Amino acid sequence: MSTSSTVRDPGATAPGSTGPQRADRRTGRSLVGGRGGIWFVLPFMVVYAAFVLWPLLYGLGLSFFDTSLVSDESQFVGLDNYARLLGDSEVWRTLWVTVLFTAGSTIPLVAIALVMALLVQTGVRGQWFWRFVYFAPFLLPVATVVLIWQWLFSGDFGLFNGVLTGLGLPEVGWLTEPEMGLWSVIILTVWWTIGFNFLLYLAALQGIPDQLYEAAEIDGAGGWRRLFSITLPLLTRTTALVVVLQVLASLKLFDQAYILYRGSGGPGGSATPILQYVYDTGFVDYRLGYASAISYVFFVLIILIALVQARLSRRSES
Amino acid sequence: MTTAPRLTRRTLLRATVAAGGAALLSSCAGGASGGAVDLAYWNFFTGSDGELMVDLVEAYRGEAPGVRLTDTTLMWGSPYYTKLAMACAGGRAPDLATMHASRLATFGRDLLDEWDRDELAARGVTLDEFPQPVQDRVVIDGRLMALPLDTHPLVLYYNTDICERAGLLGADGSLSPIRSAEQMLDAGRRAAEVTGATGIAFGAADNFASWMVFWSTFRQLGGEMLLPDGGPAEVDRDAMVQAMTFMHDMCDGTIASGTLDGPAAPAAFASQQAGFLLIGPWEVTTARTAEIPFSMTQFPLLYGDTPYARADSHSFVLPSRVSVDPAVRSAAYDMAVSMLRNSLGWAAGGGHIPALSAVAESPEYLAEKPISNYRDAAQVVAFDPEGYFSGSGSTLMSRAGQTLQGVNSRALTPEQGADDLIGWLDQQLRLGSPL
Repeated sequence: MSTSSTVRDPGATAPGSTGPQRADRRTGRSLVGGRGGIWFVLPFMVVYAAFVLWPLLYGLGLSFFDTSLVSDESQFVGLDNYARLLGDSEVWRTLWVTVLFTAGSTIPLVAIALVMALLVQTGVRGQWFWRFVYFAPFLLPVATVVLIWQWLFSGDFGLFNGVLTGLGLPEVGWLTEPEMGLWSVIILTVWWTIGFNFLLYLAALQGIPDQLYEAAEIDGAGGWRRLFSITLPLLTRTTALVVVLQVLASLKLFDQAYILYRGSGGPGGSATPILQYVYDTGFVDYRLGYASAISYVFFVLIILIALVQARLSRRSES
Repeated sequence: MTTAPRLTRRTLLRATVAAGGAALLSSCAGGASGGAVDLAYWNFFTGSDGELMVDLVEAYRGEAPGVRLTDTTLMWGSPYYTKLAMACAGGRAPDLATMHASRLATFGRDLLDEWDRDELAARGVTLDEFPQPVQDRVVIDGRLMALPLDTHPLVLYYNTDICERAGLLGADGSLSPIRSAEQMLDAGRRAAEVTGATGIAFGAADNFASWMVFWSTFRQLGGEMLLPDGGPAEVDRDAMVQAMTFMHDMCDGTIASGTLDGPAAPAAFASQQAGFLLIGPWEVTTARTAEIPFSMTQFPLLYGDTPYARADSHSFVLPSRVSVDPAVRSAAYDMAVSMLRNSLGWAAGGGHIPALSAVAESPEYLAEKPISNYRDAAQVVAFDPEGYFSGSGSTLMSRAGQTLQGVNSRALTPEQGADDLIGWLDQQLRLGSPL
């Protein structure tokens, strides 16, 4: 993550005197090769297998059955569930909502976090205060965040509409207009989670060695020049990391939208992410087999996105 | 040093294990010697209804000191039904649970045990003591699947002070009868003139409130909705368009706001910014707490000749369990019957119409004003259509709510709204039933 450490590491191992000694120590008592290692890994593996691997396989199996939460019998239906979801317009509609949210939230969550980190890094007074203020919302539980924003967005008593009315502007149906439904979730999410990206960027900025800036300054580079020629290029790896993490986090949209609209999916269903459709199908309409099939299709899509991103970032590195 | 008894790590561990084991044994013995029956009861009542439910539970605790009762209150709506269905499917459900009668279509098939009418008769309760429409709903294929506690229909609240100034009260001080949709809208307009804000407080942005008004008017218009597995839905589109037109006309910003949300509607009525409120009877607490001059009446006849009002019944069910302990089952019967018998406080405090005729016809209940004003609504209740995705807190209510909100906020015309809802119903039915 930090550029300085990757620069220093090869230099540290280069002197021949310390290298062999270290290698000797490793071959002597290695946890990796010995029989003891497994006992340290086992507790984690058991939990991982019971709560991740087994449900994953079980869910895949479920998707080939018409299993229902409220009925004792279930039958093998082969690929029927998958065939059915191709024709279920609600699957594609909610998937599109998720994609829109991901695009709409990732861009501000990366761009604004970078700007905030740069502003703090410029050396404003009271650094600790800005760091705290930007990061604090991230520490709040989702239910608290949504409760606060429900009041802010409220159509008749809300602060936002109060301010708009005060300025002589028309009120906005933040939670009631289909065009606004998803944007309200995006605004809330940006406020809530931007602190994490901000922190990643700030750490990366602090890892850029000062001498680069000093050298540039001696060569007569101004502030903007230093930003575009030193800071941003050295942040490329962090940006790639932040974008990957953010896209994956945004695709998981469920809790804030579900709580904000009390499970209704927002005005005209405009804020129903695909995960909510999976939840509703499986647990509200009791159709577990079909819900599993939808979630597996979504799972495959996420893997594809992750692979494409991995390839893109590898290409940019080379 | 060496003579003193040393406390080594091993002795300490041994002593701890021994002490722990002894404590465990003694606690087991204590549990067995008590001989008490453990009874688990789940409900979804929070807020003011929650307090009334606690009274009912405490009353039973007083009657049955030998029963160790654990009552669990969960969040109302689909999360409750999800938890209950999962607990039932896992065979470890509570011994007694609360359920809306409208949800029996899903639960009644496999997840619940039927009530034994002889056991009930032995406790003095027979089926003919419940209103006919409610009986029809809780008996499935001749089996009594739920024991109704109450009926809670859509009702009309009115502010007597505002309505008097608007000239809407009769000589006896109660609301002059409203006999058509036009009269209802006109009453709303006149109340709005008095308040200077809106006439009718109505949760236009709330699924539940919107569904209640829609289903009542749709049924009054003679509308039927049949949801056969595989589809298509058999729906009266004209009645649907007309019911939505009524809601569209009502939410014109003067008669009623098109954007008021669920909690804001009773708040607007309680702060006298509206002359009427359309919601279930449970908001009587809000109006009483606000100490405003108000009364309540049955949802008026807007169309046709039967004043249908959308309603549901809180009822008790016996979730199926892997093994049933007869003593616990017997305690569950006792508790349910005890709560039915004590439902006067439940009715008086929460506005619900008691299901048991012994309570509903008692002079104490009839003396409870304004809540006994609308007791006749129990005979003309309109339950939600039968289907696995229908009922209180269901997908149908939520999805229909989306459409109705669109109509209320004028994002959709009534025709578009009807096509949207029917289109969704067809699609949902094509997916096939999970039952």
